[in-house]
Amino acid sequence: MSTEQHAHPTPAQYWKIAALLGLLTAVEVGMFYVNREYDLGGFNAVILIALAILKFVIVVGWYMHLRFEKSTLTRFFTAGFVLAVGLYLVVLSAMGVVVIRGG
Amino acid sequence: MTATAERPQATIFKRPSSTEGIWSWLTTVDHKKIGIMYGYAAFFFFLLGGTEALLLRWHLASANSEFLTAGAYNAMFTMHATTMVFLFVMPASAAFMNYLIPLMIGARDVAFPRLNALSWWIFFFGGIFLYSTFIFGTSVAPISPDGIAGNLAAGGGPGSFNWLADSPDGGWFGYQPNAGAFYSPGTAMDFWALGLQIIGLASLISSVNFIVTVLNMRAKGMRLLRMPVFVWMSTVVAFLLLFSIPIIAVALFMVTFDRQFGAVFFSPVGGGDPVLWQHLFWLFGHPEVYILILPAMGIVSEVLPVFSRKPLFGYSAVVFAGAAIAFLGFGVWAHHMFSSGITPVAQAAFGLATMTIAIPTGIKIFNWMGTMWGGRLRFTTPMLFAIGFVAMFTIGGLSGVTHAVVPSDWQQTDTYYIVAHFHYVLFGGSVFGLFAGLYYWFPKLTGKVMDSRLGKWHFWLMFTGFNLTFAPMHWLGLQGMVRRTWKYAPETGLEPWNVAATVGAFIIAFSMLIFMYNWYNSRRRGVDSGLDPWDARTIEWTIPNPTPEYNYARSPAVTSLDHFWHFKYDEDDEGRAVRKEDADEIIAELEQEGLNPIEPIHLPNPSYFPILMAVGLPIVFYGIIYHTTLWGKLLIAIGAVITLSSLIGWAIEPIEEPHAPQDGGEPDPEPEGVDAGV
Amino acid sequence: MPLKMAASPTRNRRGWMPVSDVAHDAVVDHHEEHESTGIDSRKLGMWAFLSSEFLFFGALISNYLLYSTRAGFDGVYPAEIYDIPFTSVSSFVLLMSSLTMVLAHNAMSRGDQNGTRTWLFATAALGAVFLGGQVFEFTEFIVEFGMTLSSNPAASAFYLLTGFHGLHVAVGVIMLLSLWGISRRKGELSDSQGMNLELVGLYWHFVDIIWIVIFTVVYLLSVPPG
Repeated sequence: MSTEQHAHPTPAQYWKIAALLGLLTAVEVGMFYVNREYDLGGFNAVILIALAILKFVIVVGWYMHLRFEKSTLTRFFTAGFVLAVGLYLVVLSAMGVVVIRGG
Repeated sequence: MTATAERPQATIFKRPSSTEGIWSWLTTVDHKKIGIMYGYAAFFFFLLGGTEALLLRWHLASANSEFLTAGAYNAMFTMHATTMVFLFVMPASAAFMNYLIPLMIGARDVAFPRLNALSWWIFFFGGIFLYSTFIFGTSVAPISPDGIAGNLAAGGGPGSFNWLADSPDGGWFGYQPNAGAFYSPGTAMDFWALGLQIIGLASLISSVNFIVTVLNMRAKGMRLLRMPVFVWMSTVVAFLLLFSIPIIAVALFMVTFDRQFGAVFFSPVGGGDPVLWQHLFWLFGHPEVYILILPAMGIVSEVLPVFSRKPLFGYSAVVFAGAAIAFLGFGVWAHHMFSSGITPVAQAAFGLATMTIAIPTGIKIFNWMGTMWGGRLRFTTPMLFAIGFVAMFTIGGLSGVTHAVVPSDWQQTDTYYIVAHFHYVLFGGSVFGLFAGLYYWFPKLTGKVMDSRLGKWHFWLMFTGFNLTFAPMHWLGLQGMVRRTWKYAPETGLEPWNVAATVGAFIIAFSMLIFMYNWYNSRRRGVDSGLDPWDARTIEWTIPNPTPEYNYARSPAVTSLDHFWHFKYDEDDEGRAVRKEDADEIIAELEQEGLNPIEPIHLPNPSYFPILMAVGLPIVFYGIIYHTTLWGKLLIAIGAVITLSSLIGWAIEPIEEPHAPQDGGEPDPEPEGVDAGV
Repeated sequence: MPLKMAASPTRNRRGWMPVSDVAHDAVVDHHEEHESTGIDSRKLGMWAFLSSEFLFFGALISNYLLYSTRAGFDGVYPAEIYDIPFTSVSSFVLLMSSLTMVLAHNAMSRGDQNGTRTWLFATAALGAVFLGGQVFEFTEFIVEFGMTLSSNPAASAFYLLTGFHGLHVAVGVIMLLSLWGISRRKGELSDSQGMNLELVGLYWHFVDIIWIVIFTVVYLLSVPPG
């Protein structure tokens, strides 16, 4: 096992993070029903995506420990993510799903 | 007292221990052996792909030819391209990367030796699976509404090679829905899709291996910007593979699900969108062409400086240009779709992006020329191929620039002008580069030098034949000769230059015979190379030829770029290289030291599991093709069991056997528990 | 790759080809690997592989986004028949499996072999529950609503995306159970197996974050067109 200079979160902290993730999920589902009732339009999408991003970052940063690892690993991860989002946004735009300034 | 490289003794753990014979090849994890196997396999497929090309050229030498039936013609251009791209150039590049990267960074092997073997065997069995389409594949013509079968109707005499028609015929790019279930019924295109799936997996695994190897296994002092350009280009290629293979994997799964399981991704009748296939395919396909050219560019960047007796001009620029080409290469894929109905904005954006790639490419070309300028050139065979690369690739690049101009491309697309372009960059580029590498590094493999007279005959014949074949295609295309089309009418006037192209193709084939004879003969009776036959610059030449099994007797400590060169040469006041007086002595000492390691060296143990695991995959895929039958379902189960149990066996086999003590000293400590390094 | 050398005095012949210092340290730890980046090679390899998986799942998600927003198909659109409460629960289950995974890793690092085993099994169990939920959901869709792979492109895209995600979960469960099994048989996991546990953990969390994206984009935000 490679030695690590930094301390990992404690089990208690992991439980707290899990509680937060559960809470965020509950908020997401709540938003879904609120939107069904009151139709919040684009606002719904923004909130839900923001919540998803938050959960994503929490799991990656703390559970996958990326926050505490060497930056090389973050660069790999980010590169793949950014490339995927970029390429597929262009494809979806070219196929008319996402509209990027008349493209 | 000299120690030898150790082979573990047989123990109860049953890890294989042969050092010779076929078993040592089947269980090897040695990067050099794996590289050699990749090389021979790639060359074998090169000959198959070349045969397919000769059949095409023989057919196209006459207008209205019925030498091949339409079905056979479609199959030949499909398999020629599929073979050359996936089964020749990629594994040939892998051969060089496998053999050379550890040597060039001063390592004993790659980061994950067993995974390396796995990649090779997956590729090997995948290639066999793909080519088994010629035995098992079917390609029944779709029945048109009036009940008449299609492609098998025309011609069909004994010499028509109609049996070839039962193989993949949807183009190497598999455009949908033409290559889908309705228009390409039968199993041939499934062999194509699933075969490429298997081969893609091999490349993906290999890319992870090489990225980690280059990042983590460098010898002391081998900073990233001291690595040979070939290592840099290979690393960039590994990243391209890492990010592009998953895309084609999804696309091929979608095609397979459409064809086998009734999904409706691409069939317009069900609501599917054929253009989606084009996007997904070319998202992979364009990075793929950079995967094909960058290793050859790396090879040329090694060869030119040695035979110009000058350092590479602008090393950093060449490295960064390579990275820039790869990065930009992800942003241009729709230039293959200018006539597929994408919007004007998309066309303009992709056209512009495509033009920008000319910039880093141009930087490399000028730097190669700058390397040669003012050098004292030696026109050895590898040098001839390297210079040929620079010239031919530039021509291909120039026609590429004309494609980037969208309205111009509307005229050129789907004509022979495009065929000319990509053969200039892929043959005049990649193939010439690979041959430069073969002649250059032959001594490392064999301890001998290839005959230079025969080498020059090979080069000049190949160069002549190549240009005779492909130069006319520029104007044939502009005159309207359409690609992928079975016949052309005599009144088009296209026949004479087609005949010339065919003659050129056979000259290429003849030059290959010379090469093959030279290779075979030089291995046996060639002149001994010694340690440094070319007066080279990089550290893979500081160890004896042929390369010892353990590579370096002692791990090198690198102090500069072109580290080896600085052992041998000082600079005078005007910056010219002056050979040191004791350079020859140093070389002799290197040879001595290289052959006589003073410390015990333990090499990674061989293993059965890579080859076993690799065998399971094609079995599963045969099962998928025949999944509606009982046999198919059985094959899926059997293949899955083989793959899974090999994986478990791999995970629990010990990473090292306990060794007998040396000279009565302490035995090695027992490996703790079972281990699972890869 | 293990590289062992007996300690030998540094010899300096005319100032060239000095012996690398790495040789001397290699004897100490049997598993000391050569790591120019300072990151364990296997960990680096796993992160590289995971970053490529974004391109894989990105294609599948884009495929779904393309077809699920396209009007005019015959047959049922997935968004018409989602059971959000059910999927919310199974999403929560998968999310909690990341907790148990990280607790397993934590137990391993503290040398608590029993705890490691327990949490490994818990993770596998939660993963299996998630898979069970997927199977149930697919069965409902097919049997009750008649939405099959062939119904229309949106359905095809849905099944391919969630199907491949499920396949990834299944592979993860197999790996978790294998580690659990090895730990039971040998009574403990070695340090090297501990690294494998960490690698499996990274893979597992990745599969979870893909589901985080899928849950939001495919289930919560997806609306049948027209």
